[in-house]
Amino acid sequence: MEMRRKWMGITLTVCLAASCLLSGCGGKEKGELEDSRELVLYTWDSMFPQEVLDSFEEETGIQVIYSNFDTDETMLEKLAQADGGDYDLVIADDYIIESVIEEGLAQKLDKSKIKNFENINPLYQGQFYDENDEYTVPYGAGIPLIVYDPEAVDFEIKGYEDLWNENLKDSVALTANYRVINGITLLSMGKSMNEEDASVIEEAGEKLKALAPNVRMIQDDNTQNALLNGEASVAFLYTSQVTKVLSENPDLKVVYPEEGLGFGIMAGFVPSNAPDADAAHQFLDYILQPETGAKCFDEIGYYSTNAKSDEFLENSDLAVPDSVSKGEIIQNVSEEADAAYNKNWTEFRAACD
Amino acid sequence: MRRKWNRWTFTLAPLYVFTLLFVVGPLLYMVAISFASNKEGYGVIWRFTAENYKKIFDPVYLETFRQSLKLAFTSALSIMLLGYPFGYFMARLNSRWKNRLMLLLLIPFWVNSLIRLYGWIIILQTKGALNGVLLNLGLIEEPLKMLYSYPAVLLGMIYTLLPFMILSVYSSAEKMDWSLVEAARDLGANEIQAFCSVTFKMTLPGLLSGMILTFIPSMGLFFIADILGGNKIVLVGSLIQDQMTRGSNWPFAAALAVALTILTTLIIYLYRRITHVSELEGLY
Repeated sequence: MEMRRKWMGITLTVCLAASCLLSGCGGKEKGELEDSRELVLYTWDSMFPQEVLDSFEEETGIQVIYSNFDTDETMLEKLAQADGGDYDLVIADDYIIESVIEEGLAQKLDKSKIKNFENINPLYQGQFYDENDEYTVPYGAGIPLIVYDPEAVDFEIKGYEDLWNENLKDSVALTANYRVINGITLLSMGKSMNEEDASVIEEAGEKLKALAPNVRMIQDDNTQNALLNGEASVAFLYTSQVTKVLSENPDLKVVYPEEGLGFGIMAGFVPSNAPDADAAHQFLDYILQPETGAKCFDEIGYYSTNAKSDEFLENSDLAVPDSVSKGEIIQNVSEEADAAYNKNWTEFRAACD
Repeated sequence: MRRKWNRWTFTLAPLYVFTLLFVVGPLLYMVAISFASNKEGYGVIWRFTAENYKKIFDPVYLETFRQSLKLAFTSALSIMLLGYPFGYFMARLNSRWKNRLMLLLLIPFWVNSLIRLYGWIIILQTKGALNGVLLNLGLIEEPLKMLYSYPAVLLGMIYTLLPFMILSVYSSAEKMDWSLVEAARDLGANEIQAFCSVTFKMTLPGLLSGMILTFIPSMGLFFIADILGGNKIVLVGSLIQDQMTRGSNWPFAAALAVALTILTTLIIYLYRRITHVSELEGLY
């Protein structure tokens, strides 16, 4: 027994030491071979047509290594652990890029290497996360919209406020981003999506809870299927989902909510310690070509952020409508406000049961 | 019991190292993080605080624990009611049928559990198989909304965890000495009395380990609640995942995980105190 206790003590100490050591060291180092260049691209799944990746490899001889993440937060965690290394080019959402730049994990772009930089639609430039357009190249913009089945809904939906309508009991499908759902609640109250005032956020939480009886499901992936398989008659969807659901069923109605739009911009940046920053610049320049860009936007189903691509789009709906300029982007808020939004979200989901 | 060290003891070393590095180490790391402060945006600041544990007592989060416990108890109980007779009668079959049943039980495990759950979506959805059958039989007029509800989640839990209960009860009943039941009958006990005083007591370790094997996972299997419950039922597991990813509050997630660990340990302890079973089938 005595022996055992002693061993316990020793082993526990060793493992404590080991875990401290392990947590301290992050993987680094990468032997670069001169003759086979690689571009490690880090973004969500299916963000590029294979055709575009293949022709880039053919033209430049740089092999694209496609690496996925599920959420922006995972990307930030991984990138921070790698100290801005490991990846050559990252494409992510606006709000997280602000954090990335703040933490010094992105490097300034060398615009002399991106001659197609001028093709970018100025509507998407000078945004809060990169006010002087030094770090990012926008790649697709999204506006979450309400889509509904006019056969299953007996009134006309005009805005967010209508989601609370008592005729929609157990019929609404929502995407699962806590800031977006808090945001549209705030918009329906005539407030900003980035509200910082604790009492207003609390009020939004109360209002959100009142939405619970109408909620059929909350899901981020393939939310549009709920409209197609009859689970929901109204859905609040991301842009790519709107595009998909309309191609399956053109009879569905799309609503640009009258209270105002929230929009999101995806953008590419080069991490601070990217192993091959040159390759990343080359790739950015490549996808900024008008026709290549159009192919990409057609594939991902987001609004084109490349003004010169608009005329080449197969799906002309993806060219920017005038209303987009009114959009508000979700930004990082203070820790207190963020905690309050989180709490609203948990309370809301618990109330949905 | 005295531990004997011999020349074979060292062969266990890799196992110890593995356990220490990948079980005890992360566990201690988690406890450490749970007392750290949250850094805005991402990561932790190593400044001691008990704030994370205080936050758990916020009614919103207590409610999550209550819902998780409720679901875990309901599913463990339902699984027991279904699985105990199954395992018991399975042990009484002849060996040919035993093997066949065992195969049937194990075949679903060859398919990933997520895929099997998506199968349930196809069955349960509004325009799905079950509604189709019920509509065609004229039993219902309007399709039922079965998916994304509490019963759907419960069904998923039972479906996923039932084999664990059946197998533990089975292994307990299988090695039971049936002559004891005969002896009880010879001494004048009727069938029910014999079952209660002999069979049930002899299979209790199996039942109990089945309870533990189903109860503990059902506290954490949040993906079932996400897929079949449409994300509407917040379990501690999904709260932890939320705080790790979207909410990006690692210390709070760690504190929740520590609380969950303590809670489950406590429940196992209570189980054993109440039932006076010291030996759990297959677990010790």
